[in-house]
Amino acid sequence: MGYADDHQWSQRHLSHYVEGDLSHRARRRLDRHARDCADCGRGLRALRALVYAIQGLDGLAGVRAPATIFDRVRPAAAGGPPAPQNA
Amino acid sequence: MTSSPRGDRAPEPEAANVATEASLLARAKAGDVDAFEQLSGAYADRLYMLLLRLLGDPEEAGEVAQEVMVRAWRGITRFQGRSSYFTWLYRIAVNEANRALGRRERRPPSVPLGPQEIDRPTSPNDDPARQAENNELRRALAAALAMLPPPLRTAIVLRDVEGFSTQQAAEIAGVSQAAFKSRLHQARLQVRAAIGDDVLVAGG
Repeated sequence: MGYADDHQWSQRHLSHYVEGDLSHRARRRLDRHARDCADCGRGLRALRALVYAIQGLDGLAGVRAPATIFDRVRPAAAGGPPAPQNA
Repeated sequence: MTSSPRGDRAPEPEAANVATEASLLARAKAGDVDAFEQLSGAYADRLYMLLLRLLGDPEEAGEVAQEVMVRAWRGITRFQGRSSYFTWLYRIAVNEANRALGRRERRPPSVPLGPQEIDRPTSPNDDPARQAENNELRRALAAALAMLPPPLRTAIVLRDVEGFSTQQAAEIAGVSQAAFKSRLHQARLQVRAAIGDDVLVAGG
């Protein structure tokens, strides 16, 4: 398999690599290629950084649901209990 | 597998007591609204946060959260326990969020992932230049995520932001694991392209 094939294949599988979805053999193939390919090596670093940065977006921690979240349930329930399973 | 900056996350809130949840569920199915509110209330904050992340608009997220609860109430007798109640509720939320996104004109959410993370230093030990870089990355990320088509945004929010396993996230999104992974990889590639490797590598 040539460098060009490996490069195209690696580019398509960078995210799978970061996700840990590749087989041991496929992982080694990408490792081997990325050692010699600056583009794929950089792509791997960028994707790792991307996932890490997204995981760090935790600014909503501590946000509470509005107290009105169940406001429409009681009027709906006033029409009777939930429909039976086989209705 | 990458390690999370938050360490090991436990995506699904622990039910205080499985027996209590089963009992509340049985009562809710029999028409007890108090039991339904207690059962679903345990997950209300996380559900609202998910909607906020998907919709980016607190007011709309609040309205959709109400709709989710009404739909859950009306459909609770059809819940058969093949997934956890939490997963079932989240699936309704994702469907309703996608329905809401379909209703409105395509526009980027004004607050894609919450205002608090914008301009917030990642570490008090970072120097100002580093903080500025991180803030730039956060802004770019928020904008790129907001521009993703709903199915791709849902995938990245469930897996990378909410921290669900692929299996759970696929179940919530209502697609196979293979389809979910495909969406996730596509979403990451689009966000990567939108931000650019230079910014990512410098900020990572």
